Amino acid sequence: MSDAAKLQLNGISSGYGAVDVINEVTLSVRSGEIFALMGKNGMGKTTLLKSILGLIKLTRGSVAVDEKSIAGRKPSELIACGIGYAPQEQPLFQDLSIRDNLRLALTSDRKLAAAQERVYGYFPFLKERLSQKAGTLSGGEQKMLILARALMLQPKLLLIDEISEGLQPSVVSKIADVLKHEAASNGTTILLVEQNLDFALSIADRWAVLKLGAIDDQDTNGPDSRSRVLQHLKI
Amino acid sequence: MTLLLDIISTAAILFIVAAGLLAIFGVLKIINFAHGAWLTVGAYCAVVTTELGLNPWFALPLAFILGALLGGLTERFIVRPLYRRPLDAILATWGLGIVIGQLITLWFGRDVHFTTALMQGTVDVLGTSYSFYRLFAVLAALAIGLGFAFLLDGTRLGLSAQAVIMNEALARALGIDTEKVRLATFMAGAGLAALAGVLLAPMTSVDPNMGVPWLTGAFMLVMVAGTSFGALAVACLLFGAAQVVVSTFLSPILGGITVAVLCAITLRIRPKWFARA
Repeated sequence: MSDAAKLQLNGISSGYGAVDVINEVTLSVRSGEIFALMGKNGMGKTTLLKSILGLIKLTRGSVAVDEKSIAGRKPSELIACGIGYAPQEQPLFQDLSIRDNLRLALTSDRKLAAAQERVYGYFPFLKERLSQKAGTLSGGEQKMLILARALMLQPKLLLIDEISEGLQPSVVSKIADVLKHEAASNGTTILLVEQNLDFALSIADRWAVLKLGAIDDQDTNGPDSRSRVLQHLKI
Repeated sequence: MTLLLDIISTAAILFIVAAGLLAIFGVLKIINFAHGAWLTVGAYCAVVTTELGLNPWFALPLAFILGALLGGLTERFIVRPLYRRPLDAILATWGLGIVIGQLITLWFGRDVHFTTALMQGTVDVLGTSYSFYRLFAVLAALAIGLGFAFLLDGTRLGLSAQAVIMNEALARALGIDTEKVRLATFMAGAGLAALAGVLLAPMTSVDPNMGVPWLTGAFMLVMVAGTSFGALAVACLLFGAAQVVVSTFLSPILGGITVAVLCAITLRIRPKWFARA
Protein backbone atom coordinates (compact mmCIF):
# COMPACT_ATOMS: atom_id res chain seq x y z
CA MET A 1 0.00 0.00 0.00
CA SER A 2 1.29 3.48 -0.82
CA ASP A 3 0.29 6.93 0.42
CA ALA A 4 -0.56 8.09 -3.10
CA ALA A 5 -4.29 8.56 -3.64
CA LYS A 6 -5.73 6.05 -6.09
CA LEU A 7 -9.16 7.65 -5.83
CA GLN A 8 -9.75 11.23 -4.80
CA LEU A 9 -13.18 12.78 -4.31
CA ASN A 10 -13.04 16.56 -4.05
CA GLY A 11 -16.19 18.09 -2.58
CA ILE A 12 -18.55 16.09 -4.76
CA SER A 13 -22.31 16.55 -4.68
CA SER A 14 -24.81 14.55 -6.67
CA GLY A 15 -28.33 13.24 -6.54
CA TYR A 16 -31.56 12.72 -8.38
CA GLY A 17 -33.37 15.62 -10.04
CA ALA A 18 -33.02 18.80 -8.03
CA VAL A 19 -32.20 17.01 -4.77
CA ASP A 20 -28.58 16.34 -3.83
CA VAL A 21 -28.19 13.05 -1.97
CA ILE A 22 -24.42 13.45 -1.67
CA ASN A 23 -23.26 16.74 -0.18
CA GLU A 24 -19.70 17.93 -0.76
CA VAL A 25 -17.96 14.67 0.04
CA THR A 26 -14.19 14.79 0.11
CA LEU A 27 -12.47 11.44 0.43
CA SER A 28 -9.12 9.95 -0.44
CA VAL A 29 -8.57 6.23 -0.98
CA ARG A 30 -4.91 5.25 -1.07
CA SER A 31 -3.42 2.95 -3.64
CA GLY A 32 -3.67 -0.70 -2.61
CA GLU A 33 -5.81 -0.18 0.49
CA ILE A 34 -9.23 -1.50 1.42
CA PHE A 35 -11.40 1.42 2.42
CA ALA A 36 -14.74 0.68 4.10
CA LEU A 37 -17.49 3.24 3.67
CA MET A 38 -20.29 2.53 6.09
CA GLY A 39 -23.66 4.02 6.80
CA LYS A 40 -27.29 3.20 7.35
CA ASN A 41 -29.81 2.73 4.55
CA GLY A 42 -30.60 5.84 2.56
CA MET A 43 -27.46 7.75 3.54
CA GLY A 44 -26.15 7.92 -0.02
CA LYS A 45 -23.60 5.10 -0.17
CA THR A 46 -24.84 3.60 -3.45
CA THR A 47 -25.33 7.06 -4.94
CA LEU A 48 -21.70 7.86 -4.11
CA LEU A 49 -20.44 4.77 -5.95
CA LYS A 50 -22.66 5.52 -8.95
CA SER A 51 -21.38 9.10 -8.98
CA ILE A 52 -17.77 7.90 -9.09
CA LEU A 53 -18.61 5.66 -12.06
CA GLY A 54 -20.38 8.46 -13.91
CA LEU A 55 -23.74 6.72 -13.70
CA ILE A 56 -25.07 9.78 -11.85
CA LYS A 57 -23.87 13.24 -12.83
CA LEU A 58 -22.02 15.37 -10.32
CA THR A 59 -23.60 18.70 -9.48
CA ARG A 60 -20.41 19.93 -7.79
CA GLY A 61 -16.84 18.81 -7.21
CA SER A 62 -14.58 16.42 -9.06
CA VAL A 63 -13.37 12.83 -9.04
CA ALA A 64 -9.79 11.87 -9.83
CA VAL A 65 -8.21 8.46 -10.35
CA ASP A 66 -4.41 8.38 -10.19
CA GLU A 67 -4.54 12.18 -9.91
CA LYS A 68 -6.29 12.50 -13.27
CA SER A 69 -9.80 13.91 -13.40
CA ILE A 70 -12.37 11.48 -14.75
CA ALA A 71 -15.10 14.12 -15.05
CA GLY A 72 -17.38 13.65 -18.05
CA ARG A 73 -16.01 10.23 -18.99
CA LYS A 74 -18.49 7.54 -19.86
CA PRO A 75 -18.85 4.47 -17.59
CA SER A 76 -17.61 2.30 -20.47
CA GLU A 77 -14.37 4.32 -20.61
CA LEU A 78 -13.87 4.13 -16.84
CA ILE A 79 -14.42 0.38 -16.74
CA ALA A 80 -11.97 -0.02 -19.63
CA CYS A 81 -9.43 1.99 -17.60
CA GLY A 82 -9.50 -0.63 -14.86
CA ILE A 83 -12.35 0.29 -12.53
CA GLY A 84 -14.36 -2.74 -11.44
CA TYR A 85 -17.85 -2.51 -10.02
CA ALA A 86 -19.92 -5.00 -8.05
CA PRO A 87 -23.38 -3.42 -7.79
CA GLN A 88 -26.02 -4.14 -5.19
CA GLU A 89 -29.20 -3.41 -7.14
CA GLN A 90 -30.23 -6.00 -9.79
CA PRO A 91 -26.61 -7.05 -10.05
CA LEU A 92 -26.86 -10.02 -12.44
CA PHE A 93 -28.44 -10.84 -15.77
CA GLN A 94 -30.67 -13.52 -14.31
CA ASP A 95 -31.61 -15.15 -17.62
CA LEU A 96 -28.05 -15.32 -18.92
CA SER A 97 -25.64 -18.14 -18.10
CA ILE A 98 -22.73 -17.82 -15.70
CA ARG A 99 -20.45 -17.85 -18.74
CA ASP A 100 -22.25 -14.93 -20.40
CA ASN A 101 -22.39 -12.94 -17.16
CA LEU A 102 -18.62 -13.32 -16.91
CA ARG A 103 -18.12 -12.50 -20.61
CA LEU A 104 -19.95 -9.22 -20.15
CA ALA A 105 -17.17 -8.00 -17.86
CA LEU A 106 -14.80 -7.90 -20.85
CA THR A 107 -15.04 -5.96 -24.09
CA SER A 108 -13.78 -8.89 -26.17
CA ASP A 109 -13.36 -12.64 -25.78
CA ARG A 110 -9.62 -12.56 -26.45
CA LYS A 111 -8.67 -12.48 -22.78
CA LEU A 112 -11.70 -14.45 -21.61
CA ALA A 113 -9.98 -17.77 -20.91
CA ALA A 114 -7.22 -16.22 -18.82
CA ALA A 115 -9.64 -14.02 -16.89
CA GLN A 116 -11.95 -16.95 -16.23
CA GLU A 117 -9.09 -19.11 -14.96
CA ARG A 118 -8.14 -16.34 -12.56
CA VAL A 119 -11.59 -16.12 -10.99
CA TYR A 120 -12.01 -19.92 -10.95
CA GLY A 121 -9.07 -19.87 -8.52
CA TYR A 122 -11.30 -17.98 -6.10
CA PHE A 123 -14.63 -19.59 -6.92
CA PRO A 124 -14.12 -23.08 -8.43
CA PHE A 125 -17.86 -23.84 -8.59
CA LEU A 126 -18.22 -21.36 -11.47
CA LYS A 127 -16.11 -23.55 -13.78
CA GLU A 128 -18.35 -26.56 -13.30
CA ARG A 129 -21.61 -24.69 -13.86
CA LEU A 130 -20.82 -22.30 -16.69
CA SER A 131 -24.03 -23.06 -18.59
CA GLN A 132 -26.30 -22.59 -15.57
CA LYS A 133 -28.48 -19.49 -15.57
CA ALA A 134 -27.38 -16.92 -13.03
CA GLY A 135 -30.91 -16.58 -11.69
CA THR A 136 -30.90 -20.21 -10.56
CA LEU A 137 -27.87 -19.82 -8.28
CA SER A 138 -28.30 -19.51 -4.52
CA GLY A 139 -27.99 -16.07 -2.93
CA GLY A 140 -24.41 -16.70 -1.82
CA GLU A 141 -23.39 -18.10 -5.21
CA GLN A 142 -24.89 -15.07 -6.93
CA LYS A 143 -22.82 -12.76 -4.75
CA MET A 144 -19.69 -14.74 -5.58
CA LEU A 145 -20.54 -14.49 -9.28
CA ILE A 146 -20.98 -10.71 -8.94
CA LEU A 147 -17.56 -10.44 -7.33
CA ALA A 148 -15.99 -12.83 -9.85
CA ARG A 149 -17.35 -10.73 -12.72
CA ALA A 150 -15.92 -7.57 -11.17
CA LEU A 151 -12.53 -9.29 -10.83
CA MET A 152 -12.47 -10.53 -14.45
CA LEU A 153 -10.87 -7.30 -15.62
CA GLN A 154 -8.22 -7.50 -12.89
CA PRO A 155 -9.24 -4.00 -11.85
CA LYS A 156 -6.89 -1.49 -10.31
CA LEU A 157 -9.79 0.06 -8.42
CA LEU A 158 -12.73 -2.01 -7.25
CA LEU A 159 -16.02 -0.50 -6.08
CA ILE A 160 -18.17 -2.94 -4.11
CA ASP A 161 -21.72 -2.23 -2.98
CA GLU A 162 -22.97 -4.20 0.03
CA ILE A 163 -21.71 -7.57 -1.17
CA SER A 164 -22.31 -9.24 2.22
CA GLU A 165 -26.00 -8.36 2.48
CA GLY A 166 -28.10 -11.39 3.45
CA LEU A 167 -25.24 -13.88 3.29
CA GLN A 168 -24.36 -16.62 5.74
CA PRO A 169 -21.10 -16.14 7.69
CA SER A 170 -19.15 -18.79 5.76
CA VAL A 171 -19.79 -17.00 2.45
CA VAL A 172 -18.96 -13.62 3.98
CA SER A 173 -15.71 -15.09 5.26
CA LYS A 174 -14.91 -16.48 1.79
CA ILE A 175 -15.53 -13.09 0.19
CA ALA A 176 -13.38 -11.40 2.83
CA ASP A 177 -10.51 -13.78 2.01
CA VAL A 178 -10.84 -13.06 -1.71
CA LEU A 179 -10.79 -9.29 -1.22
CA LYS A 180 -7.80 -9.43 1.13
CA HIS A 181 -5.95 -11.60 -1.37
CA GLU A 182 -6.77 -9.27 -4.28
CA ALA A 183 -5.52 -6.23 -2.39
CA ALA A 184 -2.38 -7.96 -1.14
CA SER A 185 -1.34 -9.87 -4.27
CA ASN A 186 -2.49 -7.56 -7.05
CA GLY A 187 -2.39 -4.21 -5.30
CA THR A 188 -6.08 -3.70 -6.02
CA THR A 189 -7.55 -0.65 -4.33
CA ILE A 190 -10.95 -1.47 -2.88
CA LEU A 191 -13.72 0.91 -1.88
CA LEU A 192 -16.12 -1.26 0.07
CA VAL A 193 -19.57 0.11 0.81
CA GLU A 194 -21.06 -1.89 3.67
CA GLN A 195 -23.57 -2.05 6.48
CA ASN A 196 -22.00 -5.20 7.95
CA LEU A 197 -19.52 -3.64 10.36
CA ASP A 198 -17.85 -6.88 11.41
CA PHE A 199 -17.15 -7.88 7.83
CA ALA A 200 -16.02 -4.41 6.73
CA LEU A 201 -13.76 -3.80 9.71
CA SER A 202 -12.27 -7.30 9.48
CA ILE A 203 -10.58 -6.40 6.19
CA ALA A 204 -10.45 -2.59 5.98
CA ASP A 205 -7.28 -0.55 6.34
CA ARG A 206 -9.30 2.63 6.84
CA TRP A 207 -12.96 3.49 7.19
CA ALA A 208 -15.44 6.33 6.97
CA VAL A 209 -19.07 6.79 7.98
CA LEU A 210 -21.49 8.43 5.58
CA LYS A 211 -24.43 10.15 7.22
CA LEU A 212 -27.07 12.12 5.29
CA GLY A 213 -24.80 12.30 2.27
CA ALA A 214 -21.76 13.67 4.10
CA ILE A 215 -18.70 12.12 5.73
CA ASP A 216 -19.42 12.03 9.47
CA ASP A 217 -16.13 10.51 10.60
CA GLN A 218 -13.14 8.65 9.17
CA ASP A 219 -10.00 7.06 10.51
CA THR A 220 -7.49 4.25 10.23
CA ASN A 221 -8.90 0.90 11.31
CA GLY A 222 -7.99 0.15 14.93
CA PRO A 223 -9.27 -1.43 18.14
CA ASP A 224 -11.80 1.32 18.86
CA SER A 225 -13.12 1.56 15.30
CA ARG A 226 -16.17 -0.63 15.88
CA SER A 227 -17.47 1.37 18.82
CA ARG A 228 -16.83 4.67 17.03
CA VAL A 229 -18.64 3.54 13.90
CA LEU A 230 -21.54 2.23 15.99
CA GLN A 231 -21.85 5.58 17.70
CA HIS A 232 -22.12 7.33 14.37
CA LEU A 233 -24.70 4.88 13.10
CA LYS A 234 -27.03 5.59 16.03
CA ILE A 235 -29.82 7.97 15.10
CA MET B 1 -51.76 -27.99 -49.57
CA THR B 2 -52.05 -24.55 -51.13
CA LEU B 3 -53.72 -23.29 -47.95
CA LEU B 4 -50.86 -24.65 -45.82
CA LEU B 5 -48.25 -23.05 -48.07
CA ASP B 6 -50.18 -19.78 -48.02
CA ILE B 7 -50.20 -19.87 -44.22
CA ILE B 8 -46.47 -20.54 -44.00
CA SER B 9 -45.53 -17.92 -46.57
CA THR B 10 -47.86 -15.30 -45.05
CA ALA B 11 -46.33 -15.95 -41.62
CA ALA B 12 -42.90 -15.58 -43.19
CA ILE B 13 -43.81 -12.24 -44.75
CA LEU B 14 -45.24 -10.95 -41.46
CA PHE B 15 -42.06 -12.05 -39.68
CA ILE B 16 -39.83 -10.31 -42.22
CA VAL B 17 -41.75 -7.06 -41.77
CA ALA B 18 -41.95 -7.21 -37.97
CA ALA B 19 -38.42 -8.49 -37.15
CA GLY B 20 -36.72 -5.10 -37.48
CA LEU B 21 -39.41 -3.40 -35.43
CA LEU B 22 -39.03 -5.98 -32.67
CA ALA B 23 -35.24 -5.61 -32.61
CA ILE B 24 -35.58 -1.86 -32.07
CA PHE B 25 -38.35 -2.27 -29.50
CA GLY B 26 -36.33 -4.85 -27.57
CA VAL B 27 -33.19 -2.79 -27.22
CA LEU B 28 -34.46 0.80 -27.32
CA LYS B 29 -37.82 0.25 -25.61
CA ILE B 30 -39.53 2.47 -28.17
CA ILE B 31 -41.79 1.67 -31.10
CA ASN B 32 -40.28 3.09 -34.26
CA PHE B 33 -43.32 4.38 -36.13
CA ALA B 34 -41.10 5.30 -39.07
CA HIS B 35 -40.74 1.54 -39.69
CA GLY B 36 -43.42 1.62 -42.40
CA ALA B 37 -41.61 4.50 -44.09
CA TRP B 38 -38.31 2.57 -44.14
CA LEU B 39 -40.20 -0.34 -45.67
CA THR B 40 -41.52 2.03 -48.36
CA VAL B 41 -38.00 3.36 -49.00
CA GLY B 42 -36.88 -0.22 -49.56
CA ALA B 43 -39.74 -0.88 -51.97
CA TYR B 44 -38.77 2.23 -53.95
CA CYS B 45 -35.20 0.91 -54.15
CA ALA B 46 -36.77 -2.02 -56.03
CA VAL B 47 -38.72 0.47 -58.21
CA VAL B 48 -35.51 2.36 -59.04
CA THR B 49 -33.58 -0.78 -59.98
CA THR B 50 -36.52 -1.90 -62.13
CA GLU B 51 -36.82 1.46 -63.89
CA LEU B 52 -33.07 1.65 -64.48
CA GLY B 53 -33.11 -1.87 -65.87
CA LEU B 54 -30.63 -3.12 -63.25
CA ASN B 55 -30.49 -6.62 -61.87
CA PRO B 56 -33.41 -6.74 -59.39
CA TRP B 57 -31.20 -8.48 -56.78
CA PHE B 58 -29.18 -5.27 -56.58
CA ALA B 59 -32.13 -3.70 -54.74
CA LEU B 60 -31.51 -5.91 -51.67
CA PRO B 61 -28.09 -4.56 -50.61
CA LEU B 62 -29.03 -1.07 -51.82
CA ALA B 63 -32.14 -1.02 -49.63
CA PHE B 64 -30.41 -2.48 -46.59
CA ILE B 65 -27.52 -0.01 -46.74
CA LEU B 66 -29.78 2.98 -47.44
CA GLY B 67 -32.20 1.93 -44.68
CA ALA B 68 -29.37 1.41 -42.19
CA LEU B 69 -27.80 4.79 -43.01
CA LEU B 70 -31.11 6.65 -42.73
CA GLY B 71 -31.86 4.69 -39.55
CA GLY B 72 -28.49 5.69 -38.11
CA LEU B 73 -29.17 9.36 -38.81
CA THR B 74 -32.64 9.03 -37.29
CA GLU B 75 -31.31 7.43 -34.12
CA ARG B 76 -28.54 9.98 -33.71
CA PHE B 77 -30.47 13.16 -34.37
CA ILE B 78 -34.14 12.38 -33.63
CA VAL B 79 -34.49 9.40 -31.32
CA ARG B 80 -31.42 9.72 -29.06
CA PRO B 81 -32.42 13.07 -27.53
CA LEU B 82 -35.83 11.55 -26.73
CA TYR B 83 -34.81 8.31 -24.98
CA ARG B 84 -36.10 9.58 -21.66
CA ARG B 85 -39.37 10.68 -23.31
CA PRO B 86 -40.59 7.53 -25.10
CA LEU B 87 -43.99 9.02 -25.98
CA ASP B 88 -42.27 11.95 -27.69
CA ALA B 89 -39.99 9.49 -29.49
CA ILE B 90 -43.04 7.66 -30.82
CA LEU B 91 -44.56 10.94 -32.03
CA ALA B 92 -41.26 12.00 -33.58
CA THR B 93 -40.87 8.74 -35.52
CA TRP B 94 -44.53 8.93 -36.58
CA GLY B 95 -43.90 12.45 -37.88
CA LEU B 96 -40.72 11.32 -39.59
CA GLY B 97 -42.70 8.60 -41.35
CA ILE B 98 -45.10 11.23 -42.71
CA VAL B 99 -42.21 13.41 -43.88
CA ILE B 100 -40.55 10.47 -45.67
CA GLY B 101 -43.88 9.57 -47.30
CA GLN B 102 -44.27 13.14 -48.59
CA LEU B 103 -40.69 13.25 -49.86
CA ILE B 104 -41.26 10.00 -51.75
CA THR B 105 -44.46 11.50 -53.20
CA LEU B 106 -42.56 14.62 -54.30
CA TRP B 107 -39.90 12.52 -56.01
CA PHE B 108 -41.94 9.66 -57.50
CA GLY B 109 -45.50 11.01 -57.51
CA ARG B 110 -48.60 9.29 -56.19
CA ASP B 111 -48.73 6.73 -58.99
CA VAL B 112 -48.59 3.07 -58.21
CA HIS B 113 -45.40 1.34 -59.32
CA PHE B 114 -44.63 -2.28 -60.04
CA THR B 115 -41.31 -4.01 -59.77
CA THR B 116 -39.56 -6.95 -61.35
CA ALA B 117 -39.77 -10.08 -59.23
CA LEU B 118 -36.48 -11.36 -57.88
CA MET B 119 -37.50 -14.76 -59.21
CA GLN B 120 -40.47 -15.94 -61.24
CA GLY B 121 -42.45 -19.05 -61.97
CA THR B 122 -43.85 -21.84 -59.87
CA VAL B 123 -42.45 -24.89 -58.21
CA ASP B 124 -44.07 -28.24 -57.52
CA VAL B 125 -44.54 -28.94 -53.79
CA LEU B 126 -45.99 -32.40 -53.14
CA GLY B 127 -48.09 -32.21 -56.27
CA THR B 128 -49.14 -28.60 -55.77
CA SER B 129 -47.86 -25.89 -58.06
CA TYR B 130 -46.87 -22.92 -55.90
CA SER B 131 -45.25 -19.50 -56.37
CA PHE B 132 -41.48 -19.84 -56.32
CA TYR B 133 -41.20 -16.29 -54.97
CA ARG B 134 -43.47 -16.90 -51.95
CA LEU B 135 -41.35 -19.94 -51.06
CA PHE B 136 -38.30 -17.75 -51.39
CA ALA B 137 -39.93 -15.41 -48.85
CA VAL B 138 -40.12 -18.36 -46.43
CA LEU B 139 -36.41 -19.00 -46.92
CA ALA B 140 -35.70 -15.30 -46.43
CA ALA B 141 -37.66 -15.30 -43.15
CA LEU B 142 -35.76 -18.37 -41.97
CA ALA B 143 -32.48 -16.70 -42.90
CA ILE B 144 -33.46 -13.55 -40.99
CA GLY B 145 -34.58 -15.56 -37.98
CA LEU B 146 -31.43 -17.67 -37.93
CA GLY B 147 -29.35 -14.56 -38.57
CA PHE B 148 -30.83 -12.88 -35.51
CA ALA B 149 -30.39 -16.06 -33.46
CA PHE B 150 -26.72 -16.18 -34.45
CA LEU B 151 -26.28 -12.45 -33.84
CA LEU B 152 -27.84 -12.66 -30.37
CA ASP B 153 -26.26 -15.90 -29.20
CA GLY B 154 -23.03 -16.01 -31.17
CA THR B 155 -21.58 -12.52 -31.18
CA ARG B 156 -20.40 -9.93 -28.66
CA LEU B 157 -22.78 -7.35 -30.11
CA GLY B 158 -25.66 -9.78 -29.60
CA LEU B 159 -24.62 -10.49 -26.02
CA SER B 160 -24.39 -6.75 -25.35
CA ALA B 161 -27.81 -6.26 -26.95
CA GLN B 162 -29.28 -8.98 -24.73
CA ALA B 163 -27.73 -7.29 -21.70
CA VAL B 164 -29.26 -3.95 -22.70
CA ILE B 165 -32.65 -5.61 -23.28
CA MET B 166 -32.59 -7.34 -19.87
CA ASN B 167 -31.15 -4.60 -17.70
CA GLU B 168 -29.79 -1.46 -19.31
CA ALA B 169 -28.69 0.15 -16.05
CA LEU B 170 -26.53 -2.87 -15.21
CA ALA B 171 -25.21 -3.05 -18.76
CA ARG B 172 -24.03 0.56 -18.46
CA ALA B 173 -22.53 -0.08 -15.04
CA LEU B 174 -20.50 -2.97 -16.49
CA GLY B 175 -19.03 -0.73 -19.14
CA ILE B 176 -21.16 -1.69 -22.13
CA ASP B 177 -21.43 1.28 -24.46
CA THR B 178 -25.21 1.28 -24.58
CA GLU B 179 -25.30 4.20 -27.04
CA LYS B 180 -23.37 2.15 -29.61
CA VAL B 181 -25.61 -0.87 -29.03
CA ARG B 182 -28.71 1.29 -29.54
CA LEU B 183 -27.28 2.86 -32.71
CA ALA B 184 -26.27 -0.50 -34.19
CA THR B 185 -29.67 -1.99 -33.36
CA PHE B 186 -31.58 0.93 -34.85
CA MET B 187 -29.49 0.74 -38.03
CA ALA B 188 -30.06 -3.01 -38.30
CA GLY B 189 -33.79 -2.62 -37.64
CA ALA B 190 -34.21 0.14 -40.24
CA GLY B 191 -32.07 -1.77 -42.74
CA LEU B 192 -34.21 -4.83 -42.21
CA ALA B 193 -37.39 -2.81 -42.73
CA ALA B 194 -36.04 -1.56 -46.07
CA LEU B 195 -35.06 -5.10 -46.99
CA ALA B 196 -38.61 -6.21 -46.24
CA GLY B 197 -39.82 -3.49 -48.62
CA VAL B 198 -37.77 -4.96 -51.47
CA LEU B 199 -39.06 -8.45 -50.76
CA LEU B 200 -42.68 -7.26 -50.56
CA ALA B 201 -42.58 -5.06 -53.65
CA PRO B 202 -43.09 -7.82 -56.27
CA MET B 203 -46.06 -9.22 -54.31
CA THR B 204 -47.92 -5.94 -54.04
CA SER B 205 -48.08 -2.55 -55.67
CA VAL B 206 -45.68 0.15 -54.54
CA ASP B 207 -46.99 3.57 -53.51
CA PRO B 208 -45.87 6.21 -50.99
CA ASN B 209 -48.27 4.96 -48.31
CA MET B 210 -47.73 1.23 -48.74
CA GLY B 211 -45.90 0.99 -45.40
CA VAL B 212 -48.83 2.12 -43.25
CA PRO B 213 -50.89 -1.10 -43.19
CA TRP B 214 -47.75 -3.20 -42.78
CA LEU B 215 -46.68 -1.00 -39.87
CA THR B 216 -50.02 -1.54 -38.15
CA GLY B 217 -49.79 -5.32 -38.38
CA ALA B 218 -46.12 -5.39 -37.37
CA PHE B 219 -46.79 -3.08 -34.43
CA MET B 220 -49.55 -5.31 -33.10
CA LEU B 221 -47.44 -8.45 -33.54
CA VAL B 222 -44.53 -6.88 -31.65
CA MET B 223 -46.85 -5.81 -28.84
CA VAL B 224 -47.98 -9.41 -28.53
CA ALA B 225 -44.51 -10.97 -28.85
CA GLY B 226 -42.68 -8.63 -26.47
CA THR B 227 -38.94 -8.86 -27.02
CA SER B 228 -38.68 -12.49 -28.13
CA PHE B 229 -38.02 -13.47 -31.75
CA GLY B 230 -39.31 -16.96 -30.99
CA ALA B 231 -42.58 -15.51 -29.70
CA LEU B 232 -42.76 -13.30 -32.79
CA ALA B 233 -42.36 -16.31 -35.07
CA VAL B 234 -45.16 -18.17 -33.24
CA ALA B 235 -47.42 -15.09 -33.31
CA CYS B 236 -46.80 -14.63 -37.04
CA LEU B 237 -47.62 -18.28 -37.69
CA LEU B 238 -50.86 -18.31 -35.65
CA PHE B 239 -52.22 -14.91 -36.66
CA GLY B 240 -50.94 -15.31 -40.23
CA ALA B 241 -52.86 -18.59 -40.41
CA ALA B 242 -56.00 -16.85 -39.18
CA GLN B 243 -55.52 -14.12 -41.79
CA VAL B 244 -55.20 -16.65 -44.61
CA VAL B 245 -58.24 -18.65 -43.43
CA VAL B 246 -60.40 -15.53 -43.09
CA SER B 247 -59.23 -14.17 -46.46
CA THR B 248 -59.83 -17.49 -48.20
CA PHE B 249 -63.18 -18.49 -46.71
CA LEU B 250 -64.79 -15.19 -45.68
CA SER B 251 -63.45 -12.04 -47.23
CA PRO B 252 -60.03 -10.67 -48.17
CA ILE B 253 -61.05 -7.33 -46.64
CA LEU B 254 -61.78 -8.98 -43.29
CA GLY B 255 -58.55 -10.94 -43.70
CA GLY B 256 -56.67 -7.67 -43.92
CA ILE B 257 -57.71 -6.70 -40.41
CA THR B 258 -57.53 -10.16 -38.85
CA VAL B 259 -53.99 -9.87 -37.48
CA ALA B 260 -54.66 -6.51 -35.84
CA VAL B 261 -57.97 -7.61 -34.34
CA LEU B 262 -56.62 -10.92 -32.96
CA CYS B 263 -53.56 -9.18 -31.54
CA ALA B 264 -55.78 -6.62 -29.82
CA ILE B 265 -57.93 -9.39 -28.32
CA THR B 266 -54.81 -11.28 -27.17
CA LEU B 267 -53.40 -8.16 -25.56
CA ARG B 268 -56.70 -7.60 -23.78
CA ILE B 269 -57.04 -11.17 -22.47
CA ARG B 270 -53.48 -12.50 -22.04
CA PRO B 271 -50.99 -9.67 -22.63
CA LYS B 272 -47.90 -11.72 -21.65
CA TRP B 273 -48.99 -15.06 -23.02
CA PHE B 274 -46.79 -15.18 -26.13
CA ALA B 275 -43.74 -13.73 -24.44
CA ARG B 276 -44.02 -16.30 -21.64
CA ALA B 277 -44.64 -19.17 -24.06
